[in-house]
Amino acid sequence: MSPEPLEPLEPLAGVTVVDWTDHTGAYAGRLLADLGADVVRVVPPGGDPAARVGPFVPGADGRPVSTFERFVNLNKRSVALDVAARDGRDVFLRLAGRAQVLLHTAARPTLAALGLGPDELAAANPGLVQVSVRPFGATGPYRDHLADDLVQLAAGGLLSLGGYADTAPIAVAGHQTYLAGSIVAAGAALLGLLGRLHDGRGRAMDVSVQEAIAGALEDAVPTYDLTGRVRRRLGEVPREAGTGTFPCRDGHVAMVAGRLGTAKAWTALVRWMAESGVDGAAELTGPVWEDFRHRQSEPAIARFREVFGAFAATRGKAELYAEAQRRRIALAPVNDVTDLRADAQLAHRGFFVPVDDPVLGATLVYPGRVSLVDGRTTLVHRPAPAPGQHTGEVLAELGVGDEQRTTLVAAGVL
Amino acid sequence: MLSGERVLDYCWVGAGALVTQTLALYGAQVIKIESRARPDNLRLSPPAKPGQTGLDVSGYFASRNSGKKSFALNMAHPAARDIAAALARASTIVTSNFRPGVMDRWGLGYADVAAANPAVIYLSMPMQGNDGPHRDYVGFGSTIAAAAGLVHPSGLPGRAPLGTGTHYPDHVPNPGHALVALLSAVYRRVRTGRGAQIELSQFESTVNLVGPALLAGSAGAPPPAPAGNRVPGAAPHGVFPCREPDTWCAIAVGTDAQWAALCTALGRADLLADARLGTLLGRKAHEDRLEEEIAASSRTVEAWALMRRLQDAGVPAAVVATAQDVLADEHLRKRGYWVQQDHPAMGAMTVAGLPFRSDVDEAGPTPAPLLGADTWEIAESVLGMHRAEYERLVAAGVLT
Repeated sequence: MSPEPLEPLEPLAGVTVVDWTDHTGAYAGRLLADLGADVVRVVPPGGDPAARVGPFVPGADGRPVSTFERFVNLNKRSVALDVAARDGRDVFLRLAGRAQVLLHTAARPTLAALGLGPDELAAANPGLVQVSVRPFGATGPYRDHLADDLVQLAAGGLLSLGGYADTAPIAVAGHQTYLAGSIVAAGAALLGLLGRLHDGRGRAMDVSVQEAIAGALEDAVPTYDLTGRVRRRLGEVPREAGTGTFPCRDGHVAMVAGRLGTAKAWTALVRWMAESGVDGAAELTGPVWEDFRHRQSEPAIARFREVFGAFAATRGKAELYAEAQRRRIALAPVNDVTDLRADAQLAHRGFFVPVDDPVLGATLVYPGRVSLVDGRTTLVHRPAPAPGQHTGEVLAELGVGDEQRTTLVAAGVL
Repeated sequence: MLSGERVLDYCWVGAGALVTQTLALYGAQVIKIESRARPDNLRLSPPAKPGQTGLDVSGYFASRNSGKKSFALNMAHPAARDIAAALARASTIVTSNFRPGVMDRWGLGYADVAAANPAVIYLSMPMQGNDGPHRDYVGFGSTIAAAAGLVHPSGLPGRAPLGTGTHYPDHVPNPGHALVALLSAVYRRVRTGRGAQIELSQFESTVNLVGPALLAGSAGAPPPAPAGNRVPGAAPHGVFPCREPDTWCAIAVGTDAQWAALCTALGRADLLADARLGTLLGRKAHEDRLEEEIAASSRTVEAWALMRRLQDAGVPAAVVATAQDVLADEHLRKRGYWVQQDHPAMGAMTVAGLPFRSDVDEAGPTPAPLLGADTWEIAESVLGMHRAEYERLVAAGVLT
């Protein structure tokens, strides 16, 4: 018998999480697994629903492998289980019975039909923190509305701020709402766990992806609430000269020079352009331009784009990044993922971590952490599992014997 | 539930302020440090109600500082250091999102704080991390998004890349990732008494949002190219015009059954009968024409009516909601998402609540503080200061 360690190194050591989510919630368990929780992912025998989301790369057998699924399942264990089958439900309840947290994305009617409603789960495990992640939350008139990433961006309001002024609204790429809802769910799970430490009770946490996105509207909500003005998409031409996305010799750069009424970065930017001898830089000098109200006028925005455009056309994004930052101007390159792998800062900090992937049969390079905790530089503990890779191991921990397991496999439950 | 926690909060402006707002709404005593000599920049940010001016009327500030206490402390004054150190000793959590070195210069680096308070949980959120060649780089949410790879794949082919059109990393991923790390450290401290040092590089945190594309790149796939609202596994998949000017409905047809339902709901038997459009492959092959046909029909319907009609038919769809729309959204209102506050300087206003509900705990609706509103209360209750000393420090320009 070895005693429980008094000071577990990992913040969530000893916490067991059952991750019964689809693609919309799977990143939540990933974040908890990074911090040391034992996250057991439950997937149907047909495969992981997160693997329906791309991007895809060809696997060893030629079939496409979802790197979205590989990304969100790092550090987890995987159990293949048909929860809809009666015996499968029993196994699931045993799993949930010894867990502290259950993450799921099922609608309430589905849960009720399976006999896994909030009250039934609480009866099986009164201390269970149940976290539901749904596009519109578990309650309210739109609770059963159908959504994907684009629809969630629209419903939460963020889509109205994206896109060019002369086109339809355009979504940010990369299934951001699936990650955003999951990030919120991981926070809700931890608040639930802390509540449980406080009073010993489990909780049902109801996460709405629409609300997660509606919280990302910047100043748009107070602007309408206090002034009646509706903020709309502006594309690459924002509200102020010195701010926006600009073409350069080999791509684009993004810049914010002079936000919030401070003129320092603006002055530095104009001096830099003037030193380079670009036409028109002298014209942008002086107290009128140091007033952000002038910089927010349409002629000022347009004139700045011309002058900076000529200046940036002969310079590369890496060169602009280094020199702007030397002059304390907030400019950054518009990087693609290849650029990121070459970034000097990320390389210096050992950010990228190669992982031998059991499904791909090749190495995948992961972002090695979300944050640095106790100075540990990587949060990679184990590769993303193959679906069902840990079914036998986890069932043995639950006390399901070999014989019973063989029966469940024969019945198609495992 | 966090009522045992006291947070010494040096998070200003963007991402950090949302982390500590969640802590405050869940009962932590969050002591926000700022001063009239150097207020949080967000206090100078629009919007304000017409006719209101000053440091206490920014709606933007109010939307991310609910429930906090404001302690006016002029960090530029030498006497401020001892007061800050005393507050750090009396706190369970210390947070900041300044550039590397700022907290250290004030004697508030992790080593300083932990020497006197070993169980402290110390969160810093420097933009690029505390070390490395770019540690002193400057930026905002929008430049972090660009550097981290979020902007490049978003937009239309052949036009400038877009991203979200906002400082998105400041609003969800960076505060969210930081909150997860911080709460997990609180969980460990409650169980073991052990403190923690957490460093969240906002750049690194945001790079995780392109994690799937990074993995694909490492397996040899080219970087994803901008494709507007189109995605490989669905068609039509886009934003379609509705009857009123600049109103839109997002529609996502992922299955043949949803395609049939869409055609029926729009009264387009002709499209339904077109065998070329009956499969995803066929719809992808004719996507330009497909989108024109759907737009021709959507244009005749009011946006909310179209959303309801499509949802009733089983087609994923939502109005592209503006801030005005989300504030009026009956669903969000029924769920109690919006919180009505009576702000002491601004009067009645509405702020977003937390994006989840608990069946046990309720988040508090206290408005954001006036600058320095709680200085005396905190000085007396936390530091044990006498009134005469407080008044001397106010007059000396320390507590101001």
